[in-house]
Amino acid sequence: MEKWECMVCGYIYDPAKGDPSRGIPPGTPFEALPEDWTCPDCGATKDMFEKV
Amino acid sequence: MDRYVIIGNGVAGVTAAQSIVRAQPEADLHIYAAEPYPYYRRPQLPDYIAGIVAEADIFYRPPEWYEQQGIRVHLSAPVAELSPQAHRLRLADGKTVPYDRLLLATGGLARIPPIEGADRRGVFTLRTLDDARAIRQFAQSVRRGVVIGGGLLGLETARALRALGLEVTVLEFAPYLMPRQLDREGAAVLETLLGQMDIQAVTRAVTEAILGDGAVRAVRLKDGREFPADMVVCSTGIRPDVTLARQAGLAVNQGVVVDEHLQTSAPDVYAAGDVAEADGVVYGLVPAAIEQARAAAANMVTPGSVTYSGTLPVTTLKVVGAELTSLGECVAEGADLLQLRRSDPQKGRYRKLALREGRIIGAILLNEREHTSPIRQLMERGTDVSACADLLMEENPDWSRLIAA
Repeated sequence: MEKWECMVCGYIYDPAKGDPSRGIPPGTPFEALPEDWTCPDCGATKDMFEKV
Repeated sequence: MDRYVIIGNGVAGVTAAQSIVRAQPEADLHIYAAEPYPYYRRPQLPDYIAGIVAEADIFYRPPEWYEQQGIRVHLSAPVAELSPQAHRLRLADGKTVPYDRLLLATGGLARIPPIEGADRRGVFTLRTLDDARAIRQFAQSVRRGVVIGGGLLGLETARALRALGLEVTVLEFAPYLMPRQLDREGAAVLETLLGQMDIQAVTRAVTEAILGDGAVRAVRLKDGREFPADMVVCSTGIRPDVTLARQAGLAVNQGVVVDEHLQTSAPDVYAAGDVAEADGVVYGLVPAAIEQARAAAANMVTPGSVTYSGTLPVTTLKVVGAELTSLGECVAEGADLLQLRRSDPQKGRYRKLALREGRIIGAILLNEREHTSPIRQLMERGTDVSACADLLMEENPDWSRLIAA
């Protein structure tokens, strides 16, 4: 599964890890994240991410 | 064809430019930037100082990117004057630039505290890449650093200086660290975390003067205490860069005043990001800069098409490597509230829940990653948890039982 990078702060979303503190289990592809999901480090919206 | 001009090359400027070319691929679009660099990631500057992130890696948009997008970027091109009536800018080099619609995305400037000695050699602020370079270079030849200001940027800067091997002290004038996100007990846990990194945090520290003979020697507080220092970084906030707007006669309060369409008091002039004041608020946050930039861009292309109604505050932030989530009425006090706390300073963990009439209405969670989502769910559902207060404070509560109930 592909990793995605935040254009604003450089955070990398790794599907293998998910985002447990927001209830996103490991194994969740970036495309399946809810539309209102935001960057855990800087708060940027999902569409500010680009595929690594 | 309309000519769009954006002043500023940060998150707001670049996001707006992208939105404009998406809506109008053939747009005649120009960005003017005072700095010599293409877009870089400002939030990564502390990691760059620490040497964790290479300089090349903070440049996320190379100059070619602008070209590929159809954006004309003019670097090292500070704007000297804005004439809203004539729809024209004058650059510092004297050149005149006409526009049909303009976006002010000039961002903010580091606030320099009005204290004696703030102009000494070895005193810095951190806002731009040039600031970060100067700090990194200077820090490599000195031993002791003081950071004035214990907000998020101040703490990240302290961590960066510490990573370079300096002895670091943070001076915060409030009674405890990060009072908007933390209560007193939570701040104590954060202080323990800082202590484990050998960063000393001093609260109720009101700086009076930066002492020295040419170069910095120490920082003196109003109460007389002195902290020896070879360098000082002032991290006492950001103020909107309203120079151009004020000179042009636009309505300026704390920031450049904008309406619900992000338009300033002048026709065809919009503002977004750290420079803008929307509904009385200067956000100074990434999510607000993005939302405002998108709305402003839409309205520059089709006036009045998108209304901006404010940005919800971010709930999670990373501070010196710890994950801090502040939900709802996180720092509320009052006789009608039951405050449940669980604190493990050595592990850097803190959990506080505020209950009103049995329901969780606020929470502070420091390094409580695995418990954040269930607590958020209980809050959103308004579940009555009054019967299981003990369970809520267990190290690893069986959340499924609570959420299913």
